Amino acid sequence: MRRYNIFYFIGQAFTNLWRNGLMTFVSIAVLMSLLVVIGGFSLMVVNIDINLKKFGEMNEIVVFVDREASEEKIEEIGNTIKALDNIEKDSSGNVTGVTRISKSEGLRQLKQENPGVYDDITDENNPLPDKFVITYEETAKVPELDYQLRQIEGIIKVNNRLDLATGIENLKNGIMLIFVWFLIILFVVSLFIIVNTIKLSVFARKDEISIMRYVGATRSFISLPFIFEGIIIGVISSVIAYFIEWFLYAYVERMVVSDYLQMIDVLTFDDVSKYVLFGFLAIGILTGVVGSSISLGKYSNK
Amino acid sequence: MIDFKNVKKAYPNGTMALKGIDLHVDDGEFVFICGHSGAGKSTIIKLLLREERISSGELIVDDYDLSKLSNYRVPQYRRKLGVVFQDFRLFPKKTVYENVAFAMEVIGTPRRDINKRVPSILRTVNLAGKENSLPNEISGGEQQRVALARALANNPSIIIADEPTGNIDPKMSLEIMQLLLKINKLGKTVLVVTHEKGLVDYYQQRVVSLQNGRIVDDKVGGMYNEKV
Repeated sequence: MRRYNIFYFIGQAFTNLWRNGLMTFVSIAVLMSLLVVIGGFSLMVVNIDINLKKFGEMNEIVVFVDREASEEKIEEIGNTIKALDNIEKDSSGNVTGVTRISKSEGLRQLKQENPGVYDDITDENNPLPDKFVITYEETAKVPELDYQLRQIEGIIKVNNRLDLATGIENLKNGIMLIFVWFLIILFVVSLFIIVNTIKLSVFARKDEISIMRYVGATRSFISLPFIFEGIIIGVISSVIAYFIEWFLYAYVERMVVSDYLQMIDVLTFDDVSKYVLFGFLAIGILTGVVGSSISLGKYSNK
Repeated sequence: MIDFKNVKKAYPNGTMALKGIDLHVDDGEFVFICGHSGAGKSTIIKLLLREERISSGELIVDDYDLSKLSNYRVPQYRRKLGVVFQDFRLFPKKTVYENVAFAMEVIGTPRRDINKRVPSILRTVNLAGKENSLPNEISGGEQQRVALARALANNPSIIIADEPTGNIDPKMSLEIMQLLLKINKLGKTVLVVTHEKGLVDYYQQRVVSLQNGRIVDDKVGGMYNEKV
């Protein structure tokens, strides 16, 4: 007895795929679309997570002071803030978490960040209010701190980034929900098409399979070419999907890292490429193998 | 040795195909199994090939108890059988040689053994010189001989021929029958399912007649039972 070379099964699988060219093409196209969508959604979720973490790490609240407030009033507001709980302190108990940024300092920073845009604004017509950047110690107590800050007379606005973080978190959950449904539908469609493609191969080789069975070929010998067929569909779809994802991601990355959206951090494709490729291969091959096994059904049972 | 003991077979749709068959075939016997459509001939073949399981009774083929045979061991069991069909079931794109070699390839026979055995089998069925022909380049009788060669390829102890002469002319039918007898003389058990009265009467072998799922006649040196 000899053991069959794996290349025999791969060769048979390629012959079948070639024979059912159109269905092979459709299977690859659908599975590839599934992978691109999975990849796209996954990368979106990963990037949202990173930005949420960033917002969490900033632990800053910015409060704006009434433009009409006198220097003494602003000083008083600063001292009131320093007296509050949950403000960052050094080891000896001195408050370090309150920084005043005057309106002229604010204008200077704005001009530095956006050269040429605000050249016509001077200290005389500066519309910016004074502000305090507050660093807090415990995220859990932020709603309380936020409330206390709003009670201080002379503070006109409190910018609490937790609101933004919560908003993004909700957005992420919404996207995840859509993603899961998309995934299920596309997975079922892909499976259905792969099952039909391989069923065509099985049907085309019906007589061959029956002769194989009658002369005593083992179940694995009969099944393996079809399993390899599924694997090949999975691998081809994964590799094509990887390159499409790469191209699409690079495009979105360029768009996001533009002047207007500099505040958003985006992972480069290099950071995630190997996870994308291995993830695609795993899903692609799994779908192919499951599809083949379903197609073989009754032929491998007897 | 083939041993049917009170074998019954009911299909899921309720059809009772075999209603208690007792049949013993010794090694090296030649048996005609006759009967009209629906008599149970095909079911007997399906049970012997272990395509179907018996509903009750006992069926033993050589050392295999088919009522207990696991799916895993079915391929091993089938290597003891050689099957010939009415419609030949040859691969049209494979040559005569390749069609015969295929049966050996799929069970993992080494190439050198295939190269040694195939020409010898082709000589046995009088097909020497036709190795490179495609099935559509040879006659129906020759195609059936290729199928017979394929059935012999793995040196089975039992040959099951399902209406082997159904698709060929009478002269070729005699040739095929001569070959089956020749194979039988080589020590193989041969079961021929047929309803061709002329052949059965001519060869006067053991004849088992089936009617409505029962054996109604079993005679050595018998004739075709026209009542069935």
